[in-house]
Amino acid sequence: MNIGLILELAKRDITEKYSGSTLGALWNFIYPLVDIFIFTVIFANLMGSRLPGSSSVYAYGFYLTSGVIAWNAFSNTVSRTATVYLDKKHIITKVKVDLSSFPLYIAISESITFVVTMGVFLFLLLISGYGVKPVILFVPLIYLVQQLFAYSLGFFIGIFVVFIRDLREIVRIVLQFWFWFTPIVYVYDILPEYVKKIMVYNPAFTFIHAYHSVFIYEQIPDLEAILYLFLLSFAILLCAGFTFKKLEKDVRDFI
Amino acid sequence: MIKVSGVSKTFKSYHSPADRLKEKIFRKKYHREITALQNVSFEVKEGKTLGVVGQNGAGKSTLLKILSGVLLPDEGSIKVDGKITGLLELGTGFDHELTGLENIFMNGTFLGMDKDEIERKKDDIINFTELGEFIYDPIKTYSSGMLMRLAFSIAMHAEPKCFLVDEALSVGDAYFQQKCMRKILEFKNDGGSIIFVSHDMNAVKTICDSAILLDHGHIISSGDPKDIIDYYHGIILSKSHMGNTEVIVNEVIDDHTGHKNPSASTGEVKLLSFKVLNSKNEEILHIESEQVVKVIYQVKALKELSDPHFGLHVRNNLGLSVFETNTYCSGIKTFTLKKGQVAELTWEFLFSLSAGDYSFSVGVANKGYGRDAFEEYLLMAHDIEVLKVIPNSNAIVYSGVFNMKPKIKIQERLGKE
Repeated sequence: MNIGLILELAKRDITEKYSGSTLGALWNFIYPLVDIFIFTVIFANLMGSRLPGSSSVYAYGFYLTSGVIAWNAFSNTVSRTATVYLDKKHIITKVKVDLSSFPLYIAISESITFVVTMGVFLFLLLISGYGVKPVILFVPLIYLVQQLFAYSLGFFIGIFVVFIRDLREIVRIVLQFWFWFTPIVYVYDILPEYVKKIMVYNPAFTFIHAYHSVFIYEQIPDLEAILYLFLLSFAILLCAGFTFKKLEKDVRDFI
Repeated sequence: MIKVSGVSKTFKSYHSPADRLKEKIFRKKYHREITALQNVSFEVKEGKTLGVVGQNGAGKSTLLKILSGVLLPDEGSIKVDGKITGLLELGTGFDHELTGLENIFMNGTFLGMDKDEIERKKDDIINFTELGEFIYDPIKTYSSGMLMRLAFSIAMHAEPKCFLVDEALSVGDAYFQQKCMRKILEFKNDGGSIIFVSHDMNAVKTICDSAILLDHGHIISSGDPKDIIDYYHGIILSKSHMGNTEVIVNEVIDDHTGHKNPSASTGEVKLLSFKVLNSKNEEILHIESEQVVKVIYQVKALKELSDPHFGLHVRNNLGLSVFETNTYCSGIKTFTLKKGQVAELTWEFLFSLSAGDYSFSVGVANKGYGRDAFEEYLLMAHDIEVLKVIPNSNAIVYSGVFNMKPKIKIQERLGKE
C-alpha cells in the first residue's frame, strides 16, 4: 500500500472533477453549502418546519443538515468505491496498482468534503446561537466508524460489480431507498412501532442517530450501537478481503 | 536482472462476466478456455536485451501485462531485482484532462516515485520530451507522438531495473525514435535489462542479444535473434497457406560454418543445389569487393507450378537486408514447371559491397500478383551460404553498405566577400 499514491489520487479526485472551471475545486464545497443554506434558511424561515420538542426555529434545519452531510459522505463513498474498478479502468489496466487499497482515495476525498462542510455547519450552529456542546467531540469517532463501514461495503460490492455490471445501478437504487428508510428527513418518533423495531437493524440509523444525538439532542451517542457497527464493518471488511484474495486474478482479467 | 519461470496464463471466455460468478458458486463450467501463455520461462541478465517475436495472438501482450503487474499469472513466478517500467501502448495510465506536468506527477507516483523524487527529476523529464510550453497543456491536445515522448520519458526516469518496450515506440518520428534508442542503449549499458516486443525484425536484430519466439502461448524457439527471426518467417510462410499444406521447418546444418540454418518449405519444391561462383566459375568462400559473383541454384518442383518465381536475398552479418529481389519483381518471364521438373537459376552481379560476411537466402513462390506479392509461398531457405567480402585494394576506401562509386569534382571559385 502506497500512502503517497492514495493521497495524490485523492487530491486529483477533488481537483479534476471541475478542472477547467474558474472556481475549480471550490465547486466541491459550494454544492454542500447550497444544501446547508436551503435546509436551514428555507426550511426553517420560510416553511416554518419545527422539530418536535424543540423551540428553536433552526432545530429542524440543523437536524436535516447534520444527517444529510453524514449521509452524503457515506453514500458517495459506497457508490463510488463500488464502481471504482470500472471507473478507473484506464489506470488499473495500464499500471500496477494494489487494488485492495486503491479505492481508499475515495474515502479520503469524501472525508475532505465532509470536514469542510462540517466546519461550515459548526460555524452556523455557533452564529445562530444554537450552540454546540462538548459531546460533538464524538463526531470524529462516529465518522471513522461510518467510513470504515462505507469502505468495507463499497469494496465488497465493488468486487462483484466487475462481474455483474447491473449491480452499479442496483447500488444507486438501494441507496435511494436506504436514505428514505433512515430517519434523516423525518424524525424517528413519527415511525410506526413495527418500523421502529426493524430500525435497530439499519446500520445507517446507528451513525445518523449518533450525529443527531450529539448535535441536536446534546447527548452522548449510543456507544454500544457504534461498537456493533464497528464489528459489523470489520466483519464485512474481512469478508471482502477474503473474497478479493480469491477473485483478484479474475477481477484483473475482467476489467 | 529479470527471471521468469514457468509462467502460464489461461483466459476464460464467458458469455457475460456474471457467468464467472455463477461458476464459482455452482461449481459448473460456463467458459471456454483460451491459453495465452503456457509454461514460459526466460531470463534477461543485466545489460542484456531480449526480443520477443510472434504473430498476433501469440501471447506477447499478455506476457507484457503480466510482467508489468497488471495481470496475475495462473502459475509461475517473476523475479526482478527492482522496478519494471515500460512503454506499453500509449499513455500508460494518463489522465487526459490533466496537463502534461500534472501527469508527470500522477504517472510518476504510479511508477513508484515519491514527490521529492519527481520534483527533482521533473526538469530532466520535461527536457527529454522536448515538449516545451506544451507541458502546461492538457494532454488531450497532444498528438500520439507527444504522448509517447512523455510516457517514455517518465518511464525511463523512474529508474527501473527492467524496461519493457513494445510497438508504441514506433509512433514517434524518426528523430525521437533514435533519441529513445540512444536512451535505451544508455540504460542497457548501465546494467538495465530490456524486453523488446516488436514486429520490426530489423530492430529486433540490431538491438537484441537474444530472442524468443512465441506461438500460441508457447516459447517454440529461443536463442540468437537472427535464427529466431528466420524461424518466425517460416511460420509466416506456413500461415500464408491457410494451413492447407503442412510446412516443414527444419534446421539445416551449414557445412562451412556449422551454423544451424532454419528453412521452411511446404514440401512442394526442393532446393537441389546452391553454388556461389566467381567470374571464372570457381566455387568461392570469399571474394574481393567490386568483383562479379555468380549464384546458381536448382529447384525441383514436386507438383505442377503454373507460375513459379525465384528470389535471392543477400544479408549482412547482422541479418540486415542488403539486397533482395525475385524474378517476378525483376520482370523475368518464367515457365510452368511440371511435377519433377528442375529449374536452374543463375544470378550474376557485381558485388560492390563493403567488407564483411554476407549470407544468401533463397525463396520460391507461385503465382505473382500486384507489385510484389504471391498467392503461394513455397520455400524460404535462409543463410544457405556465407560469402566473405574482402576490401578491393584498387577501389576507393569507403565505409557504409556499398560502393556508390561517386564522381567527385572540386573546382576553385572566386569567392565574394
